[in-house]
Amino acid sequence: MHPFHPEYIITALLKIVPYVGITLLMMLGTVIFGGLIGILLARAKIKRRIIPRAIAEGYIYLTRCIPSIVMLFIVYYGIPFLLLQFGIDVNHFSKGVFVITAFSILFASNLGEVFRAAYLAVDPGQREAAVCSGLSEFQAFYRIVLPQAAVHALPNFSNMLVNLMKEGALAYSIGLIDVMGEGSLLIGMNQGSFSLEIYLAMAIIYWTLTLVIELIFGRLEKSLSKGRKHATSVA
Amino acid sequence: MKLNTEFMRETFIASLGGVPKTFLITILTLLVSIPIAFSMALSKLENKNVSSKIVTGYVSLIRGTPIVLQILFIYSLLPSTLNYLIKDVFGLSYNIFKMNKIVYAIIVFSLNNIAVLTELFRSALGTVGHGQMEAAMTVGLSKRQAYARIIIPQALVAALPNLCNTVIGLIKNTSLAFLMAVQEITAISKMKAASGYYYIEAYLMIALIYIIVCTVVQLLFAVIEHQLSGYKKRLAV
Repeated sequence: MHPFHPEYIITALLKIVPYVGITLLMMLGTVIFGGLIGILLARAKIKRRIIPRAIAEGYIYLTRCIPSIVMLFIVYYGIPFLLLQFGIDVNHFSKGVFVITAFSILFASNLGEVFRAAYLAVDPGQREAAVCSGLSEFQAFYRIVLPQAAVHALPNFSNMLVNLMKEGALAYSIGLIDVMGEGSLLIGMNQGSFSLEIYLAMAIIYWTLTLVIELIFGRLEKSLSKGRKHATSVA
Repeated sequence: MKLNTEFMRETFIASLGGVPKTFLITILTLLVSIPIAFSMALSKLENKNVSSKIVTGYVSLIRGTPIVLQILFIYSLLPSTLNYLIKDVFGLSYNIFKMNKIVYAIIVFSLNNIAVLTELFRSALGTVGHGQMEAAMTVGLSKRQAYARIIIPQALVAALPNLCNTVIGLIKNTSLAFLMAVQEITAISKMKAASGYYYIEAYLMIALIYIIVCTVVQLLFAVIEHQLSGYKKRLAV
């Protein structure tokens, strides 16, 4: 057995922490692009027109069944191959582009379901009342339904974010240098001799990030629903 | 350039050979983790101070770290530790490095799954009203009987949709067993892909197999759910 050096955990932590930014950036990109697809999916499922709805259901079904690592590799090898057919060479693109693409495709379905559940949680009477009082359909959505739905979406959204962060650790397998990537680089540089210490350091970082995400969203939900309670008590 | 369909067909058939191993890991993991997770959920519900705090910490740690990290950590820790224990502490001559790698896979996935299932069981048990337990005690059932005959059957119905999600998540996670040199679906086609650089073809085939496997699992759960909810409806009548 290798001797265990607890003090190396600190050294490794200091070396890996700067890469937290990359992990967070990857999450942000995925939430933006996955969110856009997710909005389309949620719309298609709510509107109940048969063809868009079937496409959305099919999309959600398929992406739910594909493991992240497989999707990551399909995108990493598949997209350059596909674009090469049209004469576009993307092999020099940053690995982050492929990672964000893969996770956007995968997490769009989760995000879509989060949006849909949040939208449905708002009483349809709210929209009707808003339209009755003279707001346009667009205004009713942006001023009345969306702010209420956002509060409902928070717990599921925070769950999804944590899952995304954990799955995102797989990005190291195509060579993205984020928390996990830098950690495995460090292990390689030390010829594997401090692997346990480095794994522990990474675990501390991920666990902290999870707790911070949960804390922030818990606080946010509390402060936002405080206003809601107040509004209903006034009414 | 075109996709190599001949290779795709070959890989598909070869990778199907990994399906039993994927199911084996999944089923053994469930068998190991369900009883442990259930007792952990109970201890969390009963709020015994020390044990429920330990359970909460464990669940938080496991759910707060990526499974790749758990796999790599345990796979680099466990074999040498076990070897040390067997050779130096117990003085046996068994060579741990010859042990089937699937054992490590089951240990890692169980450790991970216990945390997920603990939360699942806790929320499922929470859906059964307090009055059920009290009523069962009043008619003279012991606590064990009350759980086995009254609480668990009701909680199971509530837990089933989430359980289906958990099993699918577990099957998807087994695709990472290749990190532990277990020859399952992903590992087999990865190896075939590397021999001819047909990566896209191989990964598309893996995706297809996982879609098929997940469909089968979902159908299975739909059947079980239909039967259990039928039982519930009969009760309501």
